[in-house]
Amino acid sequence: VPTLPNWAVQVFQVVTILALAPLVGGIIARAEAVIQQRRGPRVLQPYYDILKLLRKETVLPAPAGLVFRAAPYVSFAAYATIPLLIPALTNFPLPLGYMADFLGVGLILALASFVVSIAAVDSGSPYAQLGSSRLRSFGALNEPTVIFVTFVLALTTHTDLPYAFGATLRSSTVQVLRPSHLLMIAAFFMLVLTETGRIPVENHGSTLEFGQIEEGRVAEHSGPGLAFLRWGSNVKQLLLYTIFANVLVVPWGMASSGRLDRVLLAIVLLFVKALGVGAVVVVIESSFAKLRLYKIPEFTVASFMLAVLAVVIFLFEPGFGDSHLSVFGAAATITAVLVLLLEFGLLRSQDVWEQLRLYALGSLVVAALAFSTAATGHGGSSLYVLGAVTIGLKAVLFPQGIRYVLRNLEVEPRVPSVLGVPSGILIAVGLSALAFVVLRPVHIGAEAALPLSALPVAVGGVLVAFLLMVLRPYAPSQLLGFLVLENAVSVASLVIAPGLPIILALLLLFDVLVGVLVFIVLVQYLAVERTAVRTDVLNRLTG
Amino acid sequence: MSWALFTLLGVPLAAVLLALFGSWRLARAATVLAGVASLGLAIAIAIFVEHGRVLAAAHGWIRIDSLGAVFLLATGLLYAMAAVFSVGYLGVDQIDADFPRFARRYFALLNLFGWSMLLVPLAADFGTLWVALELTTIISALLVAIDRTDAALEAAWKYVLIASSGLGIALLSIIVLYATGTHALGSAYLPRFVRFLAHAHGLSKDAVRLSFVLAVVGFGTKVGFVPMHTWLPDAHSEAPAPVSALLSGSLLSGAFYAILRFFQVTVASGERTFAEHVLIVFGVMSLVAASFFVLRQGSYKRLLAYSSIEHMGIIALGVGFGAPLAVAGALLHVITHASAKGLAFFGSGSLLRGYDTKEVEGVTGAGTAMPWTGPMFFAGALALCGLPLSGVFRSEFEIVAGGFARPQYVGVALVLVFVNVAFFGVIWHAGRMVLSPRAAADQDGGASPRERSAWMIAGMLGCLFVSVALGLHLPGDLSTLLSNAGHRLGPAP
Repeated sequence: VPTLPNWAVQVFQVVTILALAPLVGGIIARAEAVIQQRRGPRVLQPYYDILKLLRKETVLPAPAGLVFRAAPYVSFAAYATIPLLIPALTNFPLPLGYMADFLGVGLILALASFVVSIAAVDSGSPYAQLGSSRLRSFGALNEPTVIFVTFVLALTTHTDLPYAFGATLRSSTVQVLRPSHLLMIAAFFMLVLTETGRIPVENHGSTLEFGQIEEGRVAEHSGPGLAFLRWGSNVKQLLLYTIFANVLVVPWGMASSGRLDRVLLAIVLLFVKALGVGAVVVVIESSFAKLRLYKIPEFTVASFMLAVLAVVIFLFEPGFGDSHLSVFGAAATITAVLVLLLEFGLLRSQDVWEQLRLYALGSLVVAALAFSTAATGHGGSSLYVLGAVTIGLKAVLFPQGIRYVLRNLEVEPRVPSVLGVPSGILIAVGLSALAFVVLRPVHIGAEAALPLSALPVAVGGVLVAFLLMVLRPYAPSQLLGFLVLENAVSVASLVIAPGLPIILALLLLFDVLVGVLVFIVLVQYLAVERTAVRTDVLNRLTG
Repeated sequence: MSWALFTLLGVPLAAVLLALFGSWRLARAATVLAGVASLGLAIAIAIFVEHGRVLAAAHGWIRIDSLGAVFLLATGLLYAMAAVFSVGYLGVDQIDADFPRFARRYFALLNLFGWSMLLVPLAADFGTLWVALELTTIISALLVAIDRTDAALEAAWKYVLIASSGLGIALLSIIVLYATGTHALGSAYLPRFVRFLAHAHGLSKDAVRLSFVLAVVGFGTKVGFVPMHTWLPDAHSEAPAPVSALLSGSLLSGAFYAILRFFQVTVASGERTFAEHVLIVFGVMSLVAASFFVLRQGSYKRLLAYSSIEHMGIIALGVGFGAPLAVAGALLHVITHASAKGLAFFGSGSLLRGYDTKEVEGVTGAGTAMPWTGPMFFAGALALCGLPLSGVFRSEFEIVAGGFARPQYVGVALVLVFVNVAFFGVIWHAGRMVLSPRAAADQDGGASPRERSAWMIAGMLGCLFVSVALGLHLPGDLSTLLSNAGHRLGPAP
């Protein structure tokens, strides 16, 4: 098998990204259409669009000048530069690969976006200018997010070169499963959604001007210029997916030398990883609604906060020292972080039905942790029973029962927070960090195998559940706050006390069941006697 | 003797069933019988374990020693008296068409509540203890809400939400303790008290401290320690009077009993000073804050509720002082406070039936208008202030004397000062209610207040008798029980 010289691999890398990008975009569009039971475009449609646009003539708006005409090409050139700098196909640096670090990549991406915004101003079109001003204001927090994501990586690896990140993660896999790394991944994924114009930020490719951001900016472009802008945005999407997968999440499956077969395998794997990320995007696009325009900052603030939390947690993590990787440890950490993230979702949500869904999802995650704990030999097979009971009670019976009662009572489903969502999330981030600060000096002294770094995440979950009850003056939401608190405690119990006898665990669940019944009785009383389930009107008794 | 444990748990449940399926008169009779029988059994069990014997049954799932027996006595006493008092307290409402249903539900819940509180000191492990305490919360929340007035609903909602959240933290403390126990006891074991005590040296000190603080915060929410006390005045003031008495004298100390179990483990693992300091901090905060609230209180039931917070602070301080005399005094205080607070809350219930108001302002001349209730309510108030002749005087005296012996001068000084502040508050308000002449406006219009039921007076007399008897003479058996229980908390030599 021939071995390619490094420069040839580098060329391969750039060509692969540029050539595959429209295909990935096309597959995502098609998959979404199929899920929504439409026929949808062919997967090769983006290529046809680009070819068609390249053949068309360019129509310039009257005030447009050199900036407007050059912008598509400058931005495309910027996108085409980035594949040189990131590990797309190889896990060793290629020629020119050290030209820029992670922040440099961010700056080149920013340049690409900046010239398009300038061009929008140059076009004189109000729609284009509106799009770019929206992008500027909503995107103001994206760069700090990137910086904090870089901090986490740099703290882990003592460098900020993308190639080095991957190498460090490969050499100690346990890094990937640290709470800080998982939170950073979540933050970066939200950033990817924002930057690629996906739901919940933007309706990808929508021509409705109310919600337009990215599409609005390029409204005045036509012909080959538009072709390069469209191609460029596909390339950007694939680039971000590549960074997400090859640097942050799964830095495996890249060629370790220039052998042709390995490089070809790496191309296939890159494609598969990109489609994997795309699949998650498709699920999100099909299950959530677009945020109203003025709610978008809540999303970017949340992503920024998660990145900040990741950095703070990183500083306190070493005290928990999970030195080796285990399936149980991985499951525990991922579950704890997921439960915490779902609580952030609950904090954001203003709708009691959505909160119920999030709670049910959280319960499923807890049950999955019970199963994986049992499967890895911790705590015995009785945990299967506990997992099954958890699903039955907390994922089905409680959410459905509460939904049934609330529907019968004709309760108003809107449950707005008494504090703005960003402030709420800021406090929640502070509370989660507090759990790490407080628990760091504590030496639990349990069996060695337990993944103790999941414990502060779970404790953070308990604190955030309190916040949830404080911020929502509605009886159903406060009940959910109590249930979420119980979920967080369950995670803590599975993490550090998986051997807790099943009979006690079942007794605890029985108590929660009775508690929920009493809560529901009280909610009914409130709804009947007070004709409202607001609890902030319960302020007569003081002093 | 293990039959006594089963009987103790069976009798209230039988009363629950009778209340659910029988007529309301049957429910009433069953409740009184169950209450009195429970008190008798509690005394018998206490005598059995007073010298340090341990009574266990059901493969060790239920177990009682001298420490648990102290709390069992307090619960038994109040359960019996509340059952008797309830007969009269509810009897006033009989004209209502809905009354039979209401009475059956009330008696069923009251017995269930009593049962769950009897279960607390019988638990042999931390898991069952938590389950029992959570049961007491959710059952009593329904009792607080039973009148379905706006205020009662508000109180019940705050209560169940705050107390359940506190118990969530308490659960976390049990989990931490369990995790640190895996080192010595293996990955899967039952978290029984005795096993922790036997292997206390194998526990991580960090984890034990963390778990103790979490337990004090979590269970302390139910004890009513400031600043987690916010549910307490609401629930105590809005619940029916017998339920208030049970909440105050039995439920609060039951939660404190859970803290004592953690205290035992913490002491056994060599962290005695730390644990005492935590208890002293929370005790002082509760005592100071509550005594000021007592001063400026306008509602006499809320006043008694704040007085409960104050007394829980005193008990925590007594244990925190650590001298054997102070610890025994604190345990005695559990019983004397139960009797005195039962008396005062029963009195307040009777006054509420007579005057139909919870405001101090609205009650005048109770000493003459209600010749039994008025003086006995006043006696309850005096007893709560720790005047001589009352049991509270004896227990507070022991706590203070123990504090001097240790010596803990700052703590003792704080106790003395703020007990006096509360004394002023209670006497000022109670004196105005009972000793003042009947207001002229009230004499003219409306039915004048009168004694409504001999059952209520009987309940009060029972509490008064216990309170005064303990002040005059401490029975030898009880003294043995207390010193044995204090010994289990391992006072420093």
